[in-house]
Amino acid sequence: MRKIASITLAMTMTVTVMTGCGSKANQVVDHEGKLQVYTSFYPLYDFATKVGGDKVDVVNLVPTGVEPHDYEPSARNMAALEEADVFIYNGVGMESWVDKVLSTLENEDLLVVEASQGVDFIEGHTHDHEEEHTHEEEHAHGEEHNHDEEHTDSVDPHVWTSIRNAKIEMENIKDALVEADPENKDYYEANYNHYATQFDALDKTFTDTLSQFENREIIVAHEAFGYLCHDYDLTQVGIEGMNADSEPDPERMTEIIEFAKEHEIKVIFFEELVSPKVAETIAKEIGAQTMVLNPVEGLTEEQIAAGEDYLSVMAQNLEALKKALSR
Amino acid sequence: MEIFQYAFMRRAFIVGIILAIIIPCIGVTVVLKRLSMMGDALSHSSLAGVTIGLLLGINPVLGAMISCIVAAFGIEIIRKKIPQHAEIAIAIIMSTGIGIAGVLSGFVKNTANFNSFLFGSIVAISDFELYLVIGIGLIVLLAFILLYKELFFMSFNEKGAELAGVPVGLVNSIFTILIAITVAIAARTVGSLIVSAMMVVPVACAMQWAKSYRQTVVFSALFGVCFMIVGLCLAYYVGLKPGGTIVLTGVAFFMISIMIKKFYRR
Repeated sequence: MRKIASITLAMTMTVTVMTGCGSKANQVVDHEGKLQVYTSFYPLYDFATKVGGDKVDVVNLVPTGVEPHDYEPSARNMAALEEADVFIYNGVGMESWVDKVLSTLENEDLLVVEASQGVDFIEGHTHDHEEEHTHEEEHAHGEEHNHDEEHTDSVDPHVWTSIRNAKIEMENIKDALVEADPENKDYYEANYNHYATQFDALDKTFTDTLSQFENREIIVAHEAFGYLCHDYDLTQVGIEGMNADSEPDPERMTEIIEFAKEHEIKVIFFEELVSPKVAETIAKEIGAQTMVLNPVEGLTEEQIAAGEDYLSVMAQNLEALKKALSR
Repeated sequence: MEIFQYAFMRRAFIVGIILAIIIPCIGVTVVLKRLSMMGDALSHSSLAGVTIGLLLGINPVLGAMISCIVAAFGIEIIRKKIPQHAEIAIAIIMSTGIGIAGVLSGFVKNTANFNSFLFGSIVAISDFELYLVIGIGLIVLLAFILLYKELFFMSFNEKGAELAGVPVGLVNSIFTILIAITVAIAARTVGSLIVSAMMVVPVACAMQWAKSYRQTVVFSALFGVCFMIVGLCLAYYVGLKPGGTIVLTGVAFFMISIMIKKFYRR
């Protein structure tokens, strides 16, 4: 019943939210010579905005404050995509609706970009092989995954949680914009280089800061941080597996509690777009505190208003990680 | 026992057992009134209250209670207008509740907040919810004992009860408010699945065996507690989702009970 309720709500929610955003989607008609770029969810929107600057109009499909896993495109989105120039999505199964949408579209000029191309994928986590998967992960990084495997469920789609991968995604987006609008090539290149330097700098800060700590384990709401953990040699344990918002079972909760006790974990991370109830229950059990570790899947309205972006949110994540790992 | 080593499981048992006693007690009257889907309808209607609460900045649990009370009275009113088809009332109120929740949820900015009030989980219960359930449990139990005779009479023959001098209107109102508040709180705490099943399945089992109204009530509560304990233990030791496990335990009991009864009769 809970499932049905959530599906019903999710559907009505997207419908109502999207009607609210209708005015934005309708502006497609009004081109003003700018490239019309659609992105599936927040980080891609942020990267496209950074590279495209004032030469492109970027519209984000997943509305502010909505978990991308819960999203379905509306009729209005489809109509807007028919008029769009570029469509950017993450791929690797993050947007389950993409294949269907793309096969329905009649827009032959649409340049479709799978931003995660060229990233070294890692295996997704399943609860049952808690111990083995860390080793599997190591192997997976060594060898190149071929693209046929991309859409299998076992690959972790949250590639942008690694700043290095985020840079790759931004580069893919830059290449796509250059392809769609070769006249402004230099402009896009310059923007890309400008931000790529910032990404590298933040990545270096992460490496320098996190290498100081002896503790390497973090407990997170859902296992979205596989790539971040891989970059800085951390281990994530997720309360709810790779998909957000499922009811936890008691066995999983006791596993996490025991794990936290064993590793003297002082902070349980939760996400802003997912209910903190379970994280709070576990934190109370072991006398830990709860903190936000943001997987940057989407920002809240307040964050947008405050001018937050991928880089600033990641910098906040670093602060949170520092507190969690220090003893 | 290992299962009681964790605070969250102890809480699950406390809250679960309290609800497993009071919800079937209420359920007996609800089922006899042919309103078995009431729990489902009310827990969905309470979603509207949660959204309104979040939008107006009132406590969403309070919002849920208010919308549940309104919905429960709505069901009563429609039920009186079309007495032959009481279930229509439930369908209409449920659609209204989900509809309002759906439309208004578009205006709620923070989905995390929304989700945390929308769906409860029996293994993640906060202090506030624990005290709320204990409080409502005591009130419902007390009211049920005090109104026992009246409810018994009314469950079978509302007209007759009225002629015999039972203040039907008042008792009905009190009872309606009690159901509404119980469902609003329980749906937030343990999820609407457990609430709607607990209202009906234990009663259905009890009806197979009980020979009187009193026995139906007692057996329903006993069955309820039994499903809750077995379900929670199964969920814990086998590693299953607790809500579904508890409900399926009840359904399995019900099927076994039907089969035993069939052989028993021969």
